[in-house]
Amino acid sequence: MRRIGFSTGALARNDFRRALQMLTGKNVSAVELSALRQDELIPLVEQLDQLDLSPFKYVSFHAPSAMEQSFEPLALELLLQVAVRKWPIIVHPNAMYNPSEWRRLGNCLCIENMDKRKPIGQTAKDLAEIFETVPDASFCFDIGHARQVDPTMSEASAILHRFRDRIRQLHVSEVNTQSKHDPLSFESILAFHKVSHLVPADVPVILESKVQESEINGEIESALNALRVDNVLALTGD
Amino acid sequence: MPGTESTGATSADLAHSGLLRTCREAALKTREKLDQLLSKEIPGYTSEDTSLVVFGSLARGEWTSGSDLDWTYLIDGGANSDHLVIAQNINEVLEKAGFQRPGPTETFGNMAFSHDLVHQIGGQNDTNKNTTQRILLLLESRAIGKRTDAYERVIRGVINRYLEEDNHLLTHDSKRYRVPRFLLNDIVRFWRTMAVDFASKQRDRAGKGWGLRNAKLRMSRKLIFASGLLVCFSAYLDPDLQTKISTDQKDGIKLTLLQHIRDCVRLTPLEILAKSMERYGVSQSIAKTLFDAYTEFLKLLSDDKSRTALENLRSSDSRTDPTFRQIREISTVFEGALDHIFFKNKLIEPLTRKYGVF
Repeated sequence: MRRIGFSTGALARNDFRRALQMLTGKNVSAVELSALRQDELIPLVEQLDQLDLSPFKYVSFHAPSAMEQSFEPLALELLLQVAVRKWPIIVHPNAMYNPSEWRRLGNCLCIENMDKRKPIGQTAKDLAEIFETVPDASFCFDIGHARQVDPTMSEASAILHRFRDRIRQLHVSEVNTQSKHDPLSFESILAFHKVSHLVPADVPVILESKVQESEINGEIESALNALRVDNVLALTGD
Repeated sequence: MPGTESTGATSADLAHSGLLRTCREAALKTREKLDQLLSKEIPGYTSEDTSLVVFGSLARGEWTSGSDLDWTYLIDGGANSDHLVIAQNINEVLEKAGFQRPGPTETFGNMAFSHDLVHQIGGQNDTNKNTTQRILLLLESRAIGKRTDAYERVIRGVINRYLEEDNHLLTHDSKRYRVPRFLLNDIVRFWRTMAVDFASKQRDRAGKGWGLRNAKLRMSRKLIFASGLLVCFSAYLDPDLQTKISTDQKDGIKLTLLQHIRDCVRLTPLEILAKSMERYGVSQSIAKTLFDAYTEFLKLLSDDKSRTALENLRSSDSRTDPTFRQIREISTVFEGALDHIFFKNKLIEPLTRKYGVF
């Protein structure tokens, strides 16, 4: 059974306690604690010991998606405290001013591929350059970002072929034209199907879809459907 | 024929030597200059949803002093009336900077939309303009500037459409890719369309510009066609591609071929020819003959007097005009080399016979 759950930021922005409450009693076994904005990092790290994370078999932590350069040293100190727990720490490559400093996180550092707004980290080629600077880092494959960058999913296929062994977590959602995370549409499910056979079956899935509490189980079902692997053999010639 | 230095050179060396290298470097510099100019005059002229795409000699790396600038403002995103304003601004800036305007057909020099390019392949709504933009986008285009997202998405979207319509991408035994027939047929159709339009333009423009258009048809247009065929044939012939065939899913099979074709068309048409000749064992002498002929063609176009003579030449004077006689000789040599590649090479000839004619 694939481990699957939600990002707290998707469910309740900075109110991680509320998000954890929303997940109670749902079909979830994974969670990503999210501090997407710089000012959310300190309160979340300070509260980690007080959170009941026992329902989850898998926990990850999302670092701020952007930060002021002056905040980077403090952010790294705080994230090192998170790394002690051996949780993957999801980092947007554009948030790293001094990549060599981020190597201190070892393989807890988990680089995410970017959407089309970001100047770097969109393609297999971009990611290869990034992993050269942080060679021990693992990889968070955001399939929604990859689809937004290339709806044919050929870039997603290239990324998966090249970095499948590094993947530690999957981000799943519909990424709309404004680069916002939406619930999965049929269109995105069709697209994700095209590469689902390349996604390792044991990689945990974190949904970033912005949904109401009542929609959580339905969205999980949609995501599992999108990642289902059909055993259809390749069609051959006439 | 002069133009290349070393007889022991590889096809790739030949494609990058002498005047071919000069023109290629000039194209690179001009594309950079274009970006600097537009970045200064229209900051943020491209975005995640829009790209400035150039075609023709600038994209093929064959830029000469008299080249005109074919461009389009490619849009792959929500409708926005400001797109027209930006396209008009680009036009104005380029004109002021002294770039030659695109031809009068209005195929270039304005906006192009991804939806038509991706969805209207064949059928009543696939206009001449749409076909031209689509095929040239694949076979001779480059995006200007740092933001090339829209360009990249549309190219992949177009290739994907061609492959989606081919139900059987693999041979019977699943050991090889087949030649993507839908794409190939569209490339063949485009070549024939250009040839037919040549006659139509002769009539519409009362013979004006006949000589230059004829020369281009014999050389640069034919080069695009040949490179397009070779891209399609490579699906069947490329040994590296065949090793990537897996038996997992139909979609995986398609995406691998999509990536292959995308990678192929990153090369210029001359580079595609050079790579194919090396890969399929075409002799060095044929390669040299081909690149020498093409060098001579570019030398003529680089010479203002010859170019002007071609621009002013009417078909009625073509048999006596010395410049056109040169073009005829060069193009005969060029075609002879192409004939050798497509009809004498033991790997390519069967595919030419199977897919290129009937």
